[in-house]
Amino acid sequence: MSRSIFQLLVICLLAVGVLSCDQADQAVDAALRVGMDPTYPPFESLDPDGNPTGVSVDLAIAIAKDLDRPLEIVPLPFDGLITALKTNKIDLILSSMTANEKRRQSIDFSEPYVRTGLALLTSKSSTIEGLDDLKKPGSKVAVRLGTTGEAFAAAQLPDARVTTLEDNAACVMEVVNDRVDAYIYDQLSIFRYHQQHPDTTHALLKPIQEEFWAIGIAKGNDELRSEVNTALSKIRKSGHFDELADRYLAKEKASLEAMGVPFIFVREEDAGATE
Amino acid sequence: MTDETVSRRTFSPKHLALGVAVLGGLVLLCWVVFSRLHYHWNWSGIWEYRKLFISGWLLTVAISVGALIVSLALGGVLAAGSLSPNSIFRWLARGYIELVRGTPLLVQLLIGYYVVANALALNNHFIIGVLLLSSFAGAYLAEILRGGIESVAASQVEAARAVGFTPAQTYRHVVLPQAIRRVLPAMAGQFVSLIKDSSLLSVIGLEELTQQAKIANSATYSSLEGFVPLAIGYLILTLPLSWVASQLERKFRYED
Repeated sequence: MSRSIFQLLVICLLAVGVLSCDQADQAVDAALRVGMDPTYPPFESLDPDGNPTGVSVDLAIAIAKDLDRPLEIVPLPFDGLITALKTNKIDLILSSMTANEKRRQSIDFSEPYVRTGLALLTSKSSTIEGLDDLKKPGSKVAVRLGTTGEAFAAAQLPDARVTTLEDNAACVMEVVNDRVDAYIYDQLSIFRYHQQHPDTTHALLKPIQEEFWAIGIAKGNDELRSEVNTALSKIRKSGHFDELADRYLAKEKASLEAMGVPFIFVREEDAGATE
Repeated sequence: MTDETVSRRTFSPKHLALGVAVLGGLVLLCWVVFSRLHYHWNWSGIWEYRKLFISGWLLTVAISVGALIVSLALGGVLAAGSLSPNSIFRWLARGYIELVRGTPLLVQLLIGYYVVANALALNNHFIIGVLLLSSFAGAYLAEILRGGIESVAASQVEAARAVGFTPAQTYRHVVLPQAIRRVLPAMAGQFVSLIKDSSLLSVIGLEELTQQAKIANSATYSSLEGFVPLAIGYLILTLPLSWVASQLERKFRYED
């Protein structure tokens, strides 16, 4: 028995030794590791060749350039991004993430760069005309896990039956198949999904909640936060955001503005408004 | 017995006709089910993203092959540990196997990626993915192997000892040849599961087949189209393995 205990001790010591050696080797990576969920075109996506593409990718390139660091895009599921940031797997979250109070409890945010809002994708047969209809008992709502749509439904729609699903495709299918009354997501995606399924869906684009997107940064990493804010401010002044809007969002911008729903990158005078 | 084996292995026109009929029925069923859905199918977008599916499929193959090898080695070590006369090794192996088999793979992947890989300063997604999948499958393989070894009757081991075999010789010439033959079908089945379980690795951002299908689906704003090539991609891998498993099962059933 004493031999067994000795062996166990040796194994434990070896394990501790290996772990502590590796911990010491964990040097600060020079590359700026930007985490995003590449299932959110035209902001974060992959092109047919598998390269990251979209507004956020271009923005990440511009920020890395301003910080003079090489860029590494880390693809992760949206609901894993905050965990990855907190466990130092990534340096920044640039994934069309809304800066809300709940997230602020666990991570910090840069100044906002996009102003948008939550909208509704409803099924053709549904009688939902706005938020008030959804508040009625027995209404059925689909939301995507980890999004502000999910948080909105939990806080504002206590009487609704909420289905939480892991990806957009599943949420859209719930609407197309008429299993829920509405899918709560951001305006731009709702607009695109409606275009994809014009016969089976309605898009109610009037925002039910205004939101600001910002870049997620680990709590206490104030140095990186101020660097990113400086970079954002420079990018904003240079007119780069307008170029991005023209390159990726021309059609959406025109359509949304025609419906009286402006989709805009945050202007200089608005920046800091939500801080 | 022998007559039946022979007739089952020959490919008569009757069997061919039956096969075609079953396949035709399945296709018809799929067509009816899919056409009931009011869905605007858009295949051109998915076709544009075919490269993504191919690269994802190749990564799934690479992960599966890597995990197959590592899990086999791990399973062997764990089986040896759980049969070891040394109580420490036995407890470690049993504890590991029960821990892994008693928790969901998803939980292991998340803790393994965010906590364990961090502590070990592992940053290569592919290696982390292969190790996590192997550590999961290894526990199941260990149980299959242990079951196979224990199924060899104790009287045979005693007989081997009686004729002067050393323990090593007993394992090499008496226990293992029989045990391996008996566990092959179960192991092939476990490998089929391993391939399918690799789809969960998308939660740690590995761009394997399932993740690429999700990306292609969202990039083209389609919702269902990507799942069809996804299913086919897995079937290309799992069907031959299942077939091999059933062949092995049949072969050893008659020999035992």
